[in-house]
Amino acid sequence: MEKIEYEEKGQLYSGHVACAGCAEALSLRVVLNTVGQDAVGVVAPSCLAVICGAHPTSSVKIPVFHTTIESCAATASGVKRALDKQGKSQTTVLGLAGDGGTYDIGLQSLSSAAERNEDILYVCFDNEGYMNTGGQKSSSTPEKAVTGSTPAGKTTRKKNMIDILAAHRIPYIATASPSHINDMVAKVEKAKAIRGTKVLVILVPCLPGWGIGDNAMVKTSRLAVESGVFPLFEVEDGTRYIMNHTTKTQPVAEYVKLQKRYKHLSEDDIAGLQAEVDYDWDRLHRRVAQN
Amino acid sequence: MSREPSFLWSNSTSEGRLTGTWRTASPDYRNLPSPCLGACPVNGRIATWIGQVTKGDYHGAWTTLVDNNPFPSIAGRICHHPCETACNRVEHDEAVSICALERYVGDQALEENWQYPKPETMHDQSVAIVGGGPAGLSAAYQLARRGFRVSIYESQAQLGGLLRYGIPSYRLDKSILDAEIARIVNLGVTVHLNTSIADKGGLEALRAEHDAVFLATGATKSKVLPGLDYSQPWVRDGAKFLAQTNAGEACDLGRHLVVIGGGSAGIDVARTARRLGRDVTVLALEPDDLLPAQRTEVVEAREEGIRFVCGAMMQKVDAGADGLTINCVEVAFTPGAARGQFTIAPVDGSAFTLAADAIIPSIGQDADLKKYGDLLDSAGPVIAHDENWQTSSPGIFAGGDLTSMDRFVTEAIGMGKEAAMAIARFVDPEQPAFVKPSDPAVPFKVINTAYHSADGRESPAHVAVEQRLQSFGEVQQRFTKAAAEIEAKRCFSCGTCIYCDNCYFYCPDMAITKLDQGYEVKLDYCKGCGLCVAECPTGAINMAEDLGR
Ligand SMILES: Cc1cc2nc3c(=O)[nH]c(=O)nc-3n(C[C@H](O)[C@H](O)[C@H](O)COP(=O)(O)OP(=O)(O)OC[C@H]3O[C@@H](n4cnc5c(N)ncnc54)[C@H](O)[C@@H]3O)c2cc1C
Ligand SMILES: Cc1ncc(C[n+]2csc(CCOP(=O)(O)OP(=O)(O)O)c2C)c(N)n1
Ligand code: SF4
Ligand code: SF4
Ligand code: SF4
Ligand SMILES: [Mg+2]
Repeated sequence: MEKIEYEEKGQLYSGHVACAGCAEALSLRVVLNTVGQDAVGVVAPSCLAVICGAHPTSSVKIPVFHTTIESCAATASGVKRALDKQGKSQTTVLGLAGDGGTYDIGLQSLSSAAERNEDILYVCFDNEGYMNTGGQKSSSTPEKAVTGSTPAGKTTRKKNMIDILAAHRIPYIATASPSHINDMVAKVEKAKAIRGTKVLVILVPCLPGWGIGDNAMVKTSRLAVESGVFPLFEVEDGTRYIMNHTTKTQPVAEYVKLQKRYKHLSEDDIAGLQAEVDYDWDRLHRRVAQN
Repeated sequence: MSREPSFLWSNSTSEGRLTGTWRTASPDYRNLPSPCLGACPVNGRIATWIGQVTKGDYHGAWTTLVDNNPFPSIAGRICHHPCETACNRVEHDEAVSICALERYVGDQALEENWQYPKPETMHDQSVAIVGGGPAGLSAAYQLARRGFRVSIYESQAQLGGLLRYGIPSYRLDKSILDAEIARIVNLGVTVHLNTSIADKGGLEALRAEHDAVFLATGATKSKVLPGLDYSQPWVRDGAKFLAQTNAGEACDLGRHLVVIGGGSAGIDVARTARRLGRDVTVLALEPDDLLPAQRTEVVEAREEGIRFVCGAMMQKVDAGADGLTINCVEVAFTPGAARGQFTIAPVDGSAFTLAADAIIPSIGQDADLKKYGDLLDSAGPVIAHDENWQTSSPGIFAGGDLTSMDRFVTEAIGMGKEAAMAIARFVDPEQPAFVKPSDPAVPFKVINTAYHSADGRESPAHVAVEQRLQSFGEVQQRFTKAAAEIEAKRCFSCGTCIYCDNCYFYCPDMAITKLDQGYEVKLDYCKGCGLCVAECPTGAINMAEDLGR
């Protein structure tokens, strides 16, 4: 058994108001402790804003700036440039946003920052919906998943954000999961050492949003990785693909069966999802082979 | 830049908010018994010592083992290992090779000549032990290490009981037996060999001389097969045959032998005879799949060319000039409720004969209930005792085959240990009582198998058949170091914390503090999500209802 290894430096405080068992809080803990104290965060409205904040208290040790949902990457770029001007170019600037703030509302500012290759580490906490506002669909919500605004299940696919980012040829993009903490730590460390725009997309199962138990987020995200629904991989310079978890050992059925948002699925629906996962998996592996 | 108080800036950390008030259940760190522990007749702390093996701490592992059993090298060879049957790993892939690992550690101790520390305090009270088999030696060890004066009275010329005179060397080399016994005697045990305590008077005298007596004389009377004339030169009782061959005496029986009885003892007789160059047939009442011997014994016996005639019984023997004709009949065998109970019905028209030069009946042993006259009550086929192993005669305790139908070496060792603790308390009320593990064992379902791959178990090498028959050398070999290390890592460590830190790192609320050894839950912040419990690979934490705050 692989031991989890990183230094807990107290970068996230107890007493935050994330739900019991929250994947986003746990992932934030890992990211913040890996990045360390020489960092500034820029937070978009999202569950993250709630976890970090609840004014006038703060749950994070580093200074964070709460910005608008449209402008996380833009604000982070500005903060980074100001720090550079102050001679603090070693300071890491973190963009911290949800999937709504990344895939939808903040996409323009993220794309611009990426196009300019701004020196920021942008972390998207992807819980596949607008969860802080009660669980509406975002363009990250996967096909067939029920949300408050897709009561019969979403009819379109999850937007492929990694492909969009790769098209910008930024130096580093990676996916991560709270089930694989060492992998997440390694990716944050790697990203921190790279100059330019780095984006990490972390799958964070939302307990009420997905309909899973308080103790189930690790199990759920692990199944997402092991079924190939959410592969763990890296893209360097938009072209080189590296797989971090190379096997697909669980059927998609095992993954969806844990979640109430998929409760209505028929066997055919699941077979359809499985076919898409298999297709994407093969496509990803072809890219790895092309390196 | 000045930091004036401003509504724009936060002014305190979130730690003032006690989210523990949200909780209805909280994690409880408590090492719980593994199923193997409950099944082990000596209550061995298996998860603990295997954990020590994984860290390369062999001396620590041995120390944990010998707390309950001074014979890890012996048990690691011949224990019937109910622990492996109970092992949670069975539901994942295959049981952990606990027994072979135990041997690995035990043999390491012998190689390094590790000895027991002398007791810290000595007591004046003395205890007599009658019978130097596994039960008596286990009790002697437990009493001697607690500082009591112990004298063993053994009727034979050497200690060991059936370990020496019953179990053949190809399963348990005598050098192993000698070394593990010597280690006990080195604790300062007085040994009286060739000394039989053979009657009521002898036992009473012994009781008067000592503060307590532990009787562990085993089951010494061979069951007699009806219809067989034991006075014939072509009949040899199995126990006697084994005692003779184990002592190195030549076998004076002919070439074709029929062994009657399909238990462990019968198979030992058969395999011994085979090593002495005989053609051997085992005749057993039970059908093949119900033979009372352990399966591996039957498999290995077959490999060695022993013929089995199962589900049949001897009816009559005709002795002729050129050998015996054994008249047999097939039987319908129905097992009874308890081990060793059954009914049989001969099958009409199924008669057949077996040719042989000699017959070795080996159908089991009975306890001698009459030896000490009316001094000791009996309970069915064994000597009666209370929950403290005390017989009807105060101050006389008993254990092992004499008191139980669970006729296994480690059962005898376990009884010896429990009785020794009761005796220690009898002679010195300040001694601690034996406490049986009472918590329910950790079930498989609480083990998070995501942390355990399923690659199947390692098995120790066995000597090839041709070589086996050349000598009485041990058949089963010791694990290689590499195999032992791999095998030890397979243990789930059910219910015993391995300090992996998963619980600590998986808490989204930083509500777990690491201590020097262990962890503590900060109830001020724990929201009771249960992630720490769900991601524990060993089942060493549980959620407990908590309506406290
Ligand atoms: C052939 C054979 C193979 C076996 N194989 C296995 C096996 O593989 N695994 C397993 O778990 N179990 C096995 N068993 C069972 C196991 O050996 C016994 O259950 C165990 O030895 C019982 O231990 P004990 O100390 O109660 O008795 P014993 O081992 O019988 O020891 C009793 C001792 O008391 C001595 N004694 C008897 N009467 C007196 C007296 N009046 N005064 C002084 N001393 C006396 C005897 O000489 C002997 O040394 C086997 C048994 C046999 C017969
Ligand atoms: C322009 C704009 N629209 C809507 C909102 C309201 N709002 C605040 S948080 C949020 C949800 C954001 O969803 P996501 O980014 O996925 O984060 P999550 O809450 O799921 O963590 C919304 C819609 C806003 N702050 N700004
Ligand atoms: S996995 Fe280990 S602790 Fe659990 S029952 Fe098996 S041997 Fe015992
Ligand atoms: S993970 Fe943390 S908050 Fe959840 S039950 Fe365990 S200690 Fe409590
Ligand atoms: S998760 Fe690891 S450290 Fe925590 S109780 Fe379980 S075994 Fe011990
Ligand atoms: Mg979201």
